[in-house]
Amino acid sequence: MAKEVLISGCAAAAQAVKYSRVDVICSYPIRPYTAIMMELAKMVANGELDAEFIHGEGEHAQLSVCYGASAAGARVFTGSSGVGVTYAFETYSPISGGRYPVQMAIADRALDPPGDFGSEHTDAMSCRDQGWLMGWAETPQEVFDNHLINYRVGEDRRIMLPQFVCHDGYFVSHIPGKVILPDQSQVDEFLPLYKPLHPLDPKHPVSHGPQIRPDQGAIMDLQRAAAFLEVPKVIREAIDDFNRIFGRDYRPFLDEYRTEDAEIVFFLQGAHARTARFAVNHLREKGLKIGLVKLRFVRPFPTEEIQECLSRFKAVGVIETSTSYGGAMKGGNLIHEVRAALYDAPERPLTTSFMAGLGGDVITIEDFSWMAEKLAKAVKAGKVEKYVYWVGFELEE
Amino acid sequence: MAEVYEVTVWTRGVSMDKEGRDVVSALAKAADREGKFVQAFDNYEDLPDRVGVPVRKYARISDEEIVMRYNYENENPDVVVIVDAALVKGVNVLRGMKRGGVLVVNTNRSPEETLKFIPNKDTLGAIACVDADGIAGRATVDFSGTEGGVDASGLGAGIAAPLAGAVAKATGVVNLESLAAVVANREALKRGYEEVVVKTI
Amino acid sequence: MFKIPKEREVPFGGIVPAPVGENRMMVTSNWRTYRPVIDHEKCNMCLNCFLYCPDACWHEDEAGEKMVWNADYCKGCLICVSECTTEALSPAHELDFEAGVVRLEKLF
Repeated sequence: MAKEVLISGCAAAAQAVKYSRVDVICSYPIRPYTAIMMELAKMVANGELDAEFIHGEGEHAQLSVCYGASAAGARVFTGSSGVGVTYAFETYSPISGGRYPVQMAIADRALDPPGDFGSEHTDAMSCRDQGWLMGWAETPQEVFDNHLINYRVGEDRRIMLPQFVCHDGYFVSHIPGKVILPDQSQVDEFLPLYKPLHPLDPKHPVSHGPQIRPDQGAIMDLQRAAAFLEVPKVIREAIDDFNRIFGRDYRPFLDEYRTEDAEIVFFLQGAHARTARFAVNHLREKGLKIGLVKLRFVRPFPTEEIQECLSRFKAVGVIETSTSYGGAMKGGNLIHEVRAALYDAPERPLTTSFMAGLGGDVITIEDFSWMAEKLAKAVKAGKVEKYVYWVGFELEE
Repeated sequence: MAEVYEVTVWTRGVSMDKEGRDVVSALAKAADREGKFVQAFDNYEDLPDRVGVPVRKYARISDEEIVMRYNYENENPDVVVIVDAALVKGVNVLRGMKRGGVLVVNTNRSPEETLKFIPNKDTLGAIACVDADGIAGRATVDFSGTEGGVDASGLGAGIAAPLAGAVAKATGVVNLESLAAVVANREALKRGYEEVVVKTI
Repeated sequence: MFKIPKEREVPFGGIVPAPVGENRMMVTSNWRTYRPVIDHEKCNMCLNCFLYCPDACWHEDEAGEKMVWNADYCKGCLICVSECTTEALSPAHELDFEAGVVRLEKLF
């Protein structure tokens, strides 16, 4: 029977992994994702979960273990945070290149200058071009759900790609929220056991990761690129099944809140969307026609959906939560994707970037109100005043 | 925005870390049973893996959904609970407290004696002293509930039970029956509720 | 170009002067529930407390006549009490003393 519990995002992720019947787990501790592995270690130790639990000697080794285990045909789970994510960087491309559907949880943590354990998406976003799926969760419930959905999509024979399943460190990873733990039979219906392409088999030995020639490299890239073109369709199928089996109401890529008659919207991914919803309510009470669009997958980036959705509005405020120092728009990463997607849209909204929620900073209702004011002003003037605002640090005229 | 009732617990790393967490978990779970919106969490910045270091645990209770759920601290606590009495000397435990707030201290000393160590006591509406150590006899130590993990060792078997009882008596924020449904040591809970000495200021 | 609120300023590159001697940013007296109290009559200056203290909170005075305790940094682990050879050290509850703990406004 399904039951409701009050658990953190970390504990929710661990539960999802257990329900997914994984074969191999490889851990290495770093705040804030550590509790996922604490929970899984407990489950393996007390016999609740029948899986190999391997403790790596660092994140690079951790991902290498997953590489090997997935090549041998196992359903594999791992995870990390912050500098742990970047320490394993070398392993990401070979894992996606070999088409191993490894799943990695990332509970975001700011990269070091000198040491900060607050949530910032730069750790994961730095890895967004490595051929892995990537998306964020807003609540512990969404963490649980996303882990199941990603296994289903990544292991689909049309896809065979690894997945970064991300949630904000501390806000989501540590603060408990209500999570519905489903019946195992529901999960089994949604997510069948993993059928590897090349299970370890002495009769049919294969060689993984051989040296290739430069003229083969482009083809390997093309294989991954072509697979990524198929991902949106497979995500849509998976979300339809998920909603049907678990009684949820997810949109595959863009979750909209109070956008019906909205003129301006906040656009963001992850935890701060929760506060943003309250901010939207608050600003609506003041008469502002504002809404929220939450991105659920940044890889694959939903170009057509973005064109269709965002062109309905007059101004879009992209709340970044990650950095792109010296980038085209001088702010974060998300706005690059948003503006590129909108370039060919018949109606283009005004766009600006808000640097907020960095280093683990809280984004308050007042911050959202300030951003909304800037957007409203841009609509009135017919142009944005700046491409990027550092929320809380701007000199006001 | 609806008022959020904030409980801040001051405790010590490792030796009393679980007990502090048990106080907020018990209060939040009890309030949840009463149909309230709740939140219980550890302070994320405190680094509680050092023996004796002052650390904080928080509970939030509200009649409506809690807006700033994703935040680091209770900025303006209604109640402050001190798991180790000596902490009142080392930290401004009343920092940010709403006027008329309640301070609950685990001590066998009297409210008057304890108040000597609180220079800003004029903020307080009441102080409540309960000898939780004497009632429950021990502090449980367990690490499974740290860092967002699920506590595998049960809730309220140690000094947290009488402390939660004392909070219920001194503030009325939750009732004793709801607490009794969630803590392990009900006898200690009840004694904390009955034996707490409340002094109105 | 930007303004940083005074209370949120961070030094360039996050680089701070190294503490020489004592780090006032990291006073740890509020970790203490019990403090060690010395009976100078019983002390034979064996220096065990000085040797065993993990936080270097015991030292000899200038004249070399008695041991001196550092109230600001002692965390109250009481290792000195158990290592004392002459029972000159005993634990006492911190609230039995009016002062002796640095009261912090914020933890960091």
